[in-house]
Amino acid sequence: MTIREARFILSAYRPSGSDADLPAFGDALRMAAADPSLGGWFTHSRAHDAAVAAKLKQVEPPPGLREAILAGARVSDAQRSRGPGRAWIVGLAAAAVLAVVLISMKTPTRPESGPAALAEFAINDMANGRHGGKGEPATALVAELETKGARMPGAGQIDFERLRDTGCRTLNFAGRDVLEVCFSRDGAIFHLYVARRGAQPGDSPAGAPSFVAEAAGAAAAWSDSRFDYAVASAAGVEAIRKLL
Amino acid sequence: MTNEAFTQLVDAHYAPLYRFALSLARNGSDAGDLVQQTFFIWATKGHAIRELSKAKSWLFTTLYREYLRGRRRDSRSSSLEDLPPGEHEPVAEDVDRVSRIDSAAVMSALQNVDEPFRAPLTLFYLEEMSYQEIADALDVPIGTVMSRLSRGKSQLRAAFVSAEPPGTKVLPFPTAKGERAS
Repeated sequence: MTIREARFILSAYRPSGSDADLPAFGDALRMAAADPSLGGWFTHSRAHDAAVAAKLKQVEPPPGLREAILAGARVSDAQRSRGPGRAWIVGLAAAAVLAVVLISMKTPTRPESGPAALAEFAINDMANGRHGGKGEPATALVAELETKGARMPGAGQIDFERLRDTGCRTLNFAGRDVLEVCFSRDGAIFHLYVARRGAQPGDSPAGAPSFVAEAAGAAAAWSDSRFDYAVASAAGVEAIRKLL
Repeated sequence: MTNEAFTQLVDAHYAPLYRFALSLARNGSDAGDLVQQTFFIWATKGHAIRELSKAKSWLFTTLYREYLRGRRRDSRSSSLEDLPPGEHEPVAEDVDRVSRIDSAAVMSALQNVDEPFRAPLTLFYLEEMSYQEIADALDVPIGTVMSRLSRGKSQLRAAFVSAEPPGTKVLPFPTAKGERAS
């Protein structure tokens, strides 16, 4: 391998170092370690890549784009009936405006918020969300969850406001705040979601947990007097069952 | 897929998709349209994908295809053979140069890179995709990805040099004997 070939290969090496174990980079990395000139080039190249990546990630989408996407999707069924072609964009824009107007008029909505929906929400967030949070109470909760043999916490062990206000990752599910913490047990990663129960007449806490299994993983959802819970993991139903 | 799951999907991916679209389309309006179009296609077809772990790759691939589809309608794309080889090698000053300019200027420089290189570069920088993931997302061979990354990075560094205003060049500090410090 020549220096030029090594540079060519190392141009595809990610600045985070995630490719360190990939065989495709092995020879080029060894060459960079042995050759000072190639090593210097590689150091500068990675630093440059990291600087560019950091700057690009600061670019923010325009305000309103998210809302327009969501509003458009709500009426996608209606749009499909309009047939193929660019005409759907006009319809989509009109539908988005209509949806925003309806929302502003506080049109009642009935979001899916049952245990199965929370479980699906948990699996989807586990697979696609950007996890991470902070705060001493969250750290303490994770420590409890990682204690071998510990059961999932109940209402008395969750200080919802304190967790949320001190930086615990907080999502929105059916209009309600949902706390999420990641923890590991017996070598598997789990995600616990806790949502405060809304005032839902006739909606009494369920007894046994409901399980949902999808390709990305599984989740169990249950409730007590104050909260709805879900725990999700790519490790599957049996791994979750051992926690409950 | 429930509305909640779709909202989660949008929240997780619309910002990086927008940045990817912005690098391709070169203006915010077209980039916003591309992102909306991509999620519209998901809403009508993509929900058939059961493995949500593949949703991200699906969204980026779909956005790129939509971009190419629109571009084919509008004009002839560049031939790779017409593009000059990249020769600008990275030096320490390049890192300082990037640190001095704002994110909009970095995006603008990326937008000036020849089109075939922009998509792999953006996925590399913004999504930290591996060369294999980029090849899958753009449906091109691995060797092509490596080549485009190498040449694209060189063009990008050259674009930073061209974009820097006069008078901002950092010179090495002179030593007492008039020598340049290393």
